[in-house]
Amino acid sequence: MTTLNQARPTADARNDTGMLERLVLQHQVEQFLYEEAALLDARKYRQWLGLLADDIHYWMPIRRTVTNQDLDMEFTKPGAMAYFDDDRTVLEMRVRKLEAGSAWSEDPPSRSRHFVSNVRMLDVVGDEITVEVCFHVRRTRLNSELSEWFGRREDTLRREGDGFRLARRHIFLDQTVILTSNMSTLF
Amino acid sequence: MADGTQVPRAWDRHEILSLFDPASGVLDRRVHSDEALYRLELERIFARGWNFMCHGSQIREPGDYFVTYIGEDQVIAVRDEEGAVNVLLNTCRHRGNALCRAEQGRAKSFVCSYHGWNYGLDGRLIGAPGLSTYYHGDLDRSRLGLVKARVEEYLGFYFATLSPDAPSLHDYLGEVGRIGLGMMCAYGEVECVDGVQKNIIDCNWKIAVDNLFDWYHVTYSHASADSAGFFDISEILHPKNQMVMLGEYGHAIGGPATPQEIQDQIDALSDEQREAMSRAQPRNSPRVRPSSATDLMGPVGVRSHGHPNIFPNLWITMSGLQMCLRLPRGPSRTELWWFTFVPKDAHAELKRKMIWQANHVFGPAGLLEQDDGENWSQSTRAAGGLASRGLGARIGMGLGHGAVEEGPRGERYVEGLVSEHGQRWLYRAWTEWMAARDWAELEANHAPPPSGAV
Repeated sequence: MTTLNQARPTADARNDTGMLERLVLQHQVEQFLYEEAALLDARKYRQWLGLLADDIHYWMPIRRTVTNQDLDMEFTKPGAMAYFDDDRTVLEMRVRKLEAGSAWSEDPPSRSRHFVSNVRMLDVVGDEITVEVCFHVRRTRLNSELSEWFGRREDTLRREGDGFRLARRHIFLDQTVILTSNMSTLF
Repeated sequence: MADGTQVPRAWDRHEILSLFDPASGVLDRRVHSDEALYRLELERIFARGWNFMCHGSQIREPGDYFVTYIGEDQVIAVRDEEGAVNVLLNTCRHRGNALCRAEQGRAKSFVCSYHGWNYGLDGRLIGAPGLSTYYHGDLDRSRLGLVKARVEEYLGFYFATLSPDAPSLHDYLGEVGRIGLGMMCAYGEVECVDGVQKNIIDCNWKIAVDNLFDWYHVTYSHASADSAGFFDISEILHPKNQMVMLGEYGHAIGGPATPQEIQDQIDALSDEQREAMSRAQPRNSPRVRPSSATDLMGPVGVRSHGHPNIFPNLWITMSGLQMCLRLPRGPSRTELWWFTFVPKDAHAELKRKMIWQANHVFGPAGLLEQDDGENWSQSTRAAGGLASRGLGARIGMGLGHGAVEEGPRGERYVEGLVSEHGQRWLYRAWTEWMAARDWAELEANHAPPPSGAV
């Protein structure tokens, strides 16, 4: 667990090997997330699939507007209804669909921009690093359509060789009603 | 209220009836764009008809509430201390503020956040700050309760209407509406899975509704879901074994049906044998229904694996797995709400499979549904163009090639190829609802389900 104190730079940070390791790891994690986002924006879905672990869980529960006393039901729980509740097989289907030449909702293709920020490493256990990020996905399509989704993500990256694979992505939207005709976009 | 006093002068009875010509199947596209027609729909269809609210399992305990709509009027469906479900107009009797601003939850009472007026779960005004001081005891609390809609249920599905003159829900649904809801419970009593998917499409609500009868679009619109390996269209489409059931007040069911000779074979099987048959079927085939389903849906309805629409806007799909409300949000905006149900007594693995299916077929990220929205929004957009809308929309497929048969429960149905009988029945009923100033006129002037050639 990286705490705020540990992350605060000190005068002798360059001599603190633990700190240096954390900084390098933070940098590697961020570069992975940026690279992954760039593949989606560049519509290189097949390459994006290559970054996913075989046992990935890709999940976006439904968020609801509730009062403070009912916050325990703000999100649907695992196993209930969700917008995405995908394993690798389903994500491969989504990519095959985009490649099919008949995915009319993406032909003409959308133009998307995935912004990732506020990257915080929550936990490092063995080969797995769990990070929390803020995301903002903006999508335009046709001449005038603009959609956006934003919220918080919990990603688990697993070390593999020199890099990482994405082993878990839990997407917590800030929005409740989805203000767009579809979510043919990947997050 | 559906009292006919807000009728815009722009549309008289004759003009409304001419918007759809059942003899040619040509629909005037102003029905998908005109603002005055939309306002009239809120009054003559949504405020007058029975609207689906929620299922009883969504609000199990006293105080559980689910906020929904009758047209554009927001209402609170809430279970009170006696266990009854009330549907309350979500607007304070003082200044009109919304009492409930959450989508669902649990409440002891509803307190207005503006001045603190406090209402019971049955809608009565319990109190307001300053009753005896500022108001000098002048407020008659007994006359200032929240407006309550009429509420009735069938098989645990709660409906509400703002019209005192509407027939009972039972009579409103008629045989075909009851078969449609029966499809939800064909495998036993159901419970709602937590989570209603909600999204907004820039389309007229009726385009989203008529699409559910449209088995013509499946092969082309949803081709990519087939090539992605998500489903095999041929396992669900059965273009030559289609059945359209036509019901009172515009209810209809359209889509694939089990041929009679195969149903005869199923009828001879025990429920255990039917389950074994289901397991041996291709992945996307509907589960074979148990014998109790025939009691519920009748011998004709039990053969249908099509899509019922409970007029005006409740779609039942996937042989009773899900329901989708198409809520009007203006002439060119519709909010879609997906409800998912599983049989209460199904084992955990079957429930898990059903929820998996529901999470991946429909909803905004669904592998099928993704490709619908833009077709509907672009059809709606074009209906606003002067020259484009003058061309009319064509729903004449199969016109003159159908023969209506009558089942033992009085069900009227047409069997044959993929057709647009369902769409025509929907729009014909729509003109009748829109032309009638009140329930008496609608009852006197609506077409009964047809017989003979259609």
